[in-house]
Amino acid sequence: MSSDSVHVLEPGLETAVQELPGRIGYWEQGFPPSGPVDSWSFRLANLLVGNARDTAALECQFLGPTLRLERDVTLAVTGADMSPKLDDQPIAMWTSVKARAGQVLALSAALSGARSYIAFSGGIATEPVLGSRAVFHMARIGGTALQAGTTLPLGTHGDPAFAPKTVAEDARPTLSTDRLWRVECVPGPNDDWLTPDFNEAFFAAEWIIQGKSNRTGIRLTGPEFQFAERAFDKKPEHGQDPSNILDHGYPLGAVNLAGQTPIILINDAPSTGGFINPFTVPSGAFWKLGQARPGEKISFVRTSVSEAQDLARRLDGYASPASLRDV
Amino acid sequence: MIYQTPRFLPGGDRFMEVELGDGMDFVLNFRVHSLASAIREEKIKGVIELVPELASMMVSYDPAQISYDDLSKEITRLHEAAGQGEIADLPSRLFSIPVLYFDPWTDECIEDYRAKVAAKTPDPDLICELNNVADRAALRRLHASSEYWVAALGFWPGLCSLMPLDDRARLVAPKYDPPRTWTPKGAIGLGGALTCIYPDQTPGGYQLLARTPVPTFDREQRLSAFKDSLALFRPGDRVRFQPIEREEYDWIEARVEDGSYQHSIIEYQMFSVDRYQSWRSDISRGQQSDISRGQEQVEMAQ
Repeated sequence: MSSDSVHVLEPGLETAVQELPGRIGYWEQGFPPSGPVDSWSFRLANLLVGNARDTAALECQFLGPTLRLERDVTLAVTGADMSPKLDDQPIAMWTSVKARAGQVLALSAALSGARSYIAFSGGIATEPVLGSRAVFHMARIGGTALQAGTTLPLGTHGDPAFAPKTVAEDARPTLSTDRLWRVECVPGPNDDWLTPDFNEAFFAAEWIIQGKSNRTGIRLTGPEFQFAERAFDKKPEHGQDPSNILDHGYPLGAVNLAGQTPIILINDAPSTGGFINPFTVPSGAFWKLGQARPGEKISFVRTSVSEAQDLARRLDGYASPASLRDV
Repeated sequence: MIYQTPRFLPGGDRFMEVELGDGMDFVLNFRVHSLASAIREEKIKGVIELVPELASMMVSYDPAQISYDDLSKEITRLHEAAGQGEIADLPSRLFSIPVLYFDPWTDECIEDYRAKVAAKTPDPDLICELNNVADRAALRRLHASSEYWVAALGFWPGLCSLMPLDDRARLVAPKYDPPRTWTPKGAIGLGGALTCIYPDQTPGGYQLLARTPVPTFDREQRLSAFKDSLALFRPGDRVRFQPIEREEYDWIEARVEDGSYQHSIIEYQMFSVDRYQSWRSDISRGQQSDISRGQEQVEMAQ
């Protein structure tokens, strides 16, 4: 039966529907925003198929899905290179592809980077939950990761005359080739719980990304944290460990410190908890967190609040139709 | 301790943490909620979300619409306008939550942990021991004797931090070390001086003492209480635990299953912080020794 949908043959590794700006308005009840980790690549994929840039599309993680198209569609694959093929023929990434009903789109394992995005003209039309189609897989909110044998509904066709495009080279994110990511990072909110020396050491060190990382957080291995006096000399309700603090809200991007394990909190992270957040990765560097792989390294680059805001503005400019070229 | 002026701490390019004081204290938490509602009423352009917590709140904002400095000025202004005196009445819903104390499901969970992870004292007995409570029957009476204040939600969708409004019901307990890998949905736990209701089957660290058949989280939004959200509580609500027996537990569970259960929610009350404060100081006369004993136990428990 032909319909406005995509049929899932192989789900890949926690491939899920994401949308921007994500689930907003329920954070105080403990719902994270979710949404794509690399919103830069996500938005370019949408623009390549003629969608509004924040439309629901697929986020693939490390290993992509195999999908049968149930209708004619323009699609685009961006982000990490998972060797996308249409009916066994390689297709170009960062470029619009016209596909016909019955064709099979297959992505394999990421060669570099971690997350690919697949956009379809018309977008994915799953039912919004609390105002968003973004999937929070761990709590099964807005659906779950794709499952074999299921179908994803597509929205109505966009502009049928939409001409294929490609993303200008200089408007694409550059995936690390030396396995070292330089990630912008803003001191605070709780940088004063660490010694001044360690505040320097944090930015000088190279941190290794652990395998135990997912869409809630990225665990790091590195030098031992050194705590300032206030981490020890505090009221008992803060808790016993120097990294404990009275329960408080967690900013997205926080470098959250549980004992001696720093975890960078990303899109599906817990909203609150009892550990300090000495540093915060700003939104403009999230795409790097989305593409960094376990075993690769992060070196943090000290960034001020206003520099971080400028960075986000610049990045926002790349995710625009001005970055597209006719093919 | 409550600060004279709020402390503003940056969280990257689009978050700001606002600390109003240091410590776990009702007056401080009321001030957090009162400031949060003032910020909401003011509809400050560029403010996206607020997460009020025990002594602080996290604010997310759009720097294209308001700068960090202007946002901190606006919040300081609202904080000053509220003054250091009386806190305005807060709208506060009251929920009655039926609970079966010392139920078989949390028992099974505790026994599972004791068998596989650590041979600890069973949770209800540990709570009794640490708080000089005679036995489980007395623990049930004490725990159900107070209204609880929803001081914050978070960590998991719908997971609430409840503080007993009546100091005489203050109980403390250490958290599991290491944490449990699973907790039955609807379990009631105590950690530090906070009570929580587990909204779903999740890992956890609080000592377990009861279970409710009533959902506080419903991803299907089947029951009428969930028409606006998947989570039942909002910060600033109040909760009362209604002890029930197994027969009633099963009956309520069946009504939850068939979709006909209606939560008991009183929506027409305001919470008067001032009148609460004077009531609290009235009952605390003669309770002083008990309260200071409780404080020592918190310190031991943490």
